[in-house]
Amino acid sequence: MIQWGYTINQPRAVNLDRNDLTAARRIIRQMPELQACIACGSCTATCTAGNLTQFNFRKVHTLVRRGEYEGAYEEMNKCMLCGKCRLVCPRGINTRGVVMLIKRELGEY
Amino acid sequence: MNFYDGFIIPFVVGCAVLFTVVLYKYVRWFVRLPAADKRLVRRNFFSMQTLRGIGEVFSECLLHRRIFRVNPLLGYMHMSLAFGWFLLIVVGWIETIAYLGGRLVPIHGHVFFKYFSTSLPHHPVWGIDFSSVMDALLLFVLSGVLLAWFKRLRSRAMGLRRTTKHTLGDRVALSALWFVFPLRLLAESLTSAIFHNGGFLTGAIGDALAAAMPLRTLSTLESSAWWLYSCALGVFFVSMPFSRYMHIFTEVPLIFLRRWGIRSGEKPKSFDHFQLEACSRCGICIDPCQLQRDAGFNNVQSVYFIRDRRYNMLRPEVADNCLMCGRCEQRCPVGLDLNTLRLNSRSRLHDTPSDRRYDYTAGIDRSSGTGKTGYFAGCMTLLSPKILRAMERIFNASGEEVWWADREGGVCCGRPLKLAGETNAATRMMRYNEELFRRHGITTLVTSCPICLRVFREDYRLEGIEVLHHSEYILRLAKAGRLQIEPGEELFTYHDPCELGRGCGIYEEPRELIRCAGKLVEPAETREEALCCGSSVANTALNDLGQQRIARSVGASLGETGADAIVTACPLCKKAIARGTDRPVYDLAEVVERHLA
Amino acid sequence: MSKKVIIVGGGVAGMQAALSLKGQGIDSVIVEKSDRLGGKLCDWHKLFPTFTPASEVLGPLKEAVERAGVEVRTGAEAERIAPDSVLLKSGERLSADAVVVCSGFDLFDARIKEEYGYGIYDNVYTTADIERMMNEGAVALPGGHAPRRIAFLHCVGSRDEKVGQRHCSRVCCITGVKQAMEMKTLFPQCEVYNFYMDIRMFGPGYEELYRQAQEEYNIHFVRGRISEASPTFDGRLQIKAEDTLVGRPLKMSVDMLVLIIGMRAGESNGRFAQCPGVGCASNGFLAPADLFSGSVLSPVEGVFYAGTVTAPKNVGESMSEGAYAALRVAEYLGARS
Repeated sequence: MIQWGYTINQPRAVNLDRNDLTAARRIIRQMPELQACIACGSCTATCTAGNLTQFNFRKVHTLVRRGEYEGAYEEMNKCMLCGKCRLVCPRGINTRGVVMLIKRELGEY
Repeated sequence: MNFYDGFIIPFVVGCAVLFTVVLYKYVRWFVRLPAADKRLVRRNFFSMQTLRGIGEVFSECLLHRRIFRVNPLLGYMHMSLAFGWFLLIVVGWIETIAYLGGRLVPIHGHVFFKYFSTSLPHHPVWGIDFSSVMDALLLFVLSGVLLAWFKRLRSRAMGLRRTTKHTLGDRVALSALWFVFPLRLLAESLTSAIFHNGGFLTGAIGDALAAAMPLRTLSTLESSAWWLYSCALGVFFVSMPFSRYMHIFTEVPLIFLRRWGIRSGEKPKSFDHFQLEACSRCGICIDPCQLQRDAGFNNVQSVYFIRDRRYNMLRPEVADNCLMCGRCEQRCPVGLDLNTLRLNSRSRLHDTPSDRRYDYTAGIDRSSGTGKTGYFAGCMTLLSPKILRAMERIFNASGEEVWWADREGGVCCGRPLKLAGETNAATRMMRYNEELFRRHGITTLVTSCPICLRVFREDYRLEGIEVLHHSEYILRLAKAGRLQIEPGEELFTYHDPCELGRGCGIYEEPRELIRCAGKLVEPAETREEALCCGSSVANTALNDLGQQRIARSVGASLGETGADAIVTACPLCKKAIARGTDRPVYDLAEVVERHLA
Repeated sequence: MSKKVIIVGGGVAGMQAALSLKGQGIDSVIVEKSDRLGGKLCDWHKLFPTFTPASEVLGPLKEAVERAGVEVRTGAEAERIAPDSVLLKSGERLSADAVVVCSGFDLFDARIKEEYGYGIYDNVYTTADIERMMNEGAVALPGGHAPRRIAFLHCVGSRDEKVGQRHCSRVCCITGVKQAMEMKTLFPQCEVYNFYMDIRMFGPGYEELYRQAQEEYNIHFVRGRISEASPTFDGRLQIKAEDTLVGRPLKMSVDMLVLIIGMRAGESNGRFAQCPGVGCASNGFLAPADLFSGSVLSPVEGVFYAGTVTAPKNVGESMSEGAYAALRVAEYLGARS
């Protein structure tokens, strides 16, 4: 099975003209270091939850930053908050803080 | 004898407000205690614990024994204010009884006795010169007030590098309190100047005043002084239940409830109120906090966390920004469960329904090997292959058959999630691992991660399975002669991981093992006082720079011992400290492995 | 009286500086801590992007230094520098009219990234190990077998906050591509994978080499950083990464993992920075007066820099800096006399 996004089952463009970026901006304002992500994928490679299920931390937070919030809360709930991702992140991002922040900001989605 | 004068009104009103509010709070908190807690009260009310509680109330609420251990001068300051004031009240009552016998005297009659008793003959009763005794007690309290003023200027001399930043309510109460006793001295001295009924202190000041000004001025001043004294008391009493001074009363029920076995838990409950309001905001928790001394945070320490929670203004930035290292809890003179309170605050902020969370773990089993002894590496150890290899060699050398729970990836122990406040969801992970351990029939569970160790011991239901940290396990192997460790000449220093030391009380085993392999030198802050590595999973707010700063400071402190290498017993501490030092950092297992015969 | 310049470090930058000074009639002394000239290049096999043997660059340079009669003091490590002298570890103080610091860089110690298993598992190598093995003419696995699958990991000790190495070491991307091609040449049946975060092909011919590696050598480039390596039961290594372009975790077993290690600021930089006015940048390299016309000047008159002591550079850049530093030294000495 090809895994597109997470709950998205039809291909569609990330439309930055239409997406509401308010929540994304709020998240980035609270954690500016998240913008330093260079998408190396170390977090996802080492992820304890990602080893057992289709959870991709890097992809979820990247989509959130693009204003694609649907399903992000449920996805982040797969995280076990074990902290391995934080240990391997070459940019020193507080990844566990990112998980908690996204869940706090996107609880209603 | 008449016990009325206009100036008593502020005092009487203050008293009425104070007792009404305090009573209302206690009744409310007490009624809302969970049934289980109430059962504990009923069961233990008539027990030795109650008597011990009385002793503790005396030594802690009045004498402040624990503060003396922090700094004698600071202890004296708290003792002179609390115990001195207490004696002033008690001796004051005795004085009234001595003079007036069993006659019913209103409460302000005792407090303002000097003012109302001018018509009584001024001589010792029962052979006691009450005026001088009361003067001596007043002097005792005043010495405390002086020290409190001094502490504002030079807190370092009293063992506090930093003191608490106070709220407006606290400042009002504090100012009123500072004025209460000097005003009492002034009022009583003025009365004594007119009626010559003072002791050695008020009498002497009174005589000097009498010589300096005419009687009319004296009596105008006297009336104003008593008014001011009563106002100061009134203001203090009204602000007391809403300020830090609520601790004066709340520590008493807290001591008894704690003696009867009530504890705060991972969810907020009514007992927490007794803990929150028993905090005197003394600020002793600020100095040990590494977030303050290394990372520059001045508003997240336990004193501020408790204040914010008490006034319902707790923000996640404050609740989440704590390493939960336990250094402040270790020092708290009131013995508050600061980590538990922090934890249940987080649970209120972050806990979410979790009926289906981690359902994806169902049926997963990536364990390997067979044996009665299980080894749980833990997530962090999986990123430290040297520890894994060392453990494997140690198991081989001792001939132990091992079941490897998570070497190929497993489910997290749940403690990081619990520490972040998601207690419900964490429980689901715990149940998964419990089931996994049982299915493989192990009788001993060894882990090299103190975070996992603590949750296994505190939250897992593992009857019949002995849970050991690898330091305990390896030492046991060595003592049983199953492992030969050859001594070397290397000089090691040891860093106590928070979860292992303050968390699980394991201090000796790692040291004993290190001494088998080389020489051990202790850093300045060690054992119960040990520093935190700064990368604690309990803190989800601290950024990388903050973690690095703490690591550098810990690295420097360990480096000052002059040791060749730093040893710790936690994979996370190892990674964290390595960022802050040039010296090699080893896990205990690596040290043992290198010295295997 | 002729002026004397002390050159700290006898790598390519230092040798070129000595030669260029000599060309202007200025005598210099090279102070080299090891027992030979040439620096790290001595241990390198072939140079990117042309596969020129390192000896073809180093040999003529060494000969020219010898021919020119430049005084070379090997086995002499500089402890402190000043505009008018260099203090050696032995305690000897050499006086000078100017000092050129060409002390180079240190290779990142891959053992610090414990999760990659260097120094723990036999089949984890660094790019420096590969060059050494190629110089020795024996690239093989510990058992003498030929590898069937090799993974190269870029950015080990570069762009990594966790090891205090924020900077990009620049030359490792192209080194990784070069070595991947060399391995493919040695073992044509072998599959070679390069795991990268970004590929930075800054120099002439580099991009072309990258493309050649992809098209002609069939080297696989996977965009994702390996998070950890663990041993398999059959003695190979299992590596974990995310294939970020697919968005899924990737696992594979390999016979050989090569860590493409970055450049770390030289450990002597801290000592040199004790000279008043001399300072290190936040990444530990010595900070030049400015990054443009003053790239070989220190903030202190009489102290000059050349080569990788100020930042990661390739061989050609280091040599150019050696020559440029010599020019600025000559100007400085001329103005003073």
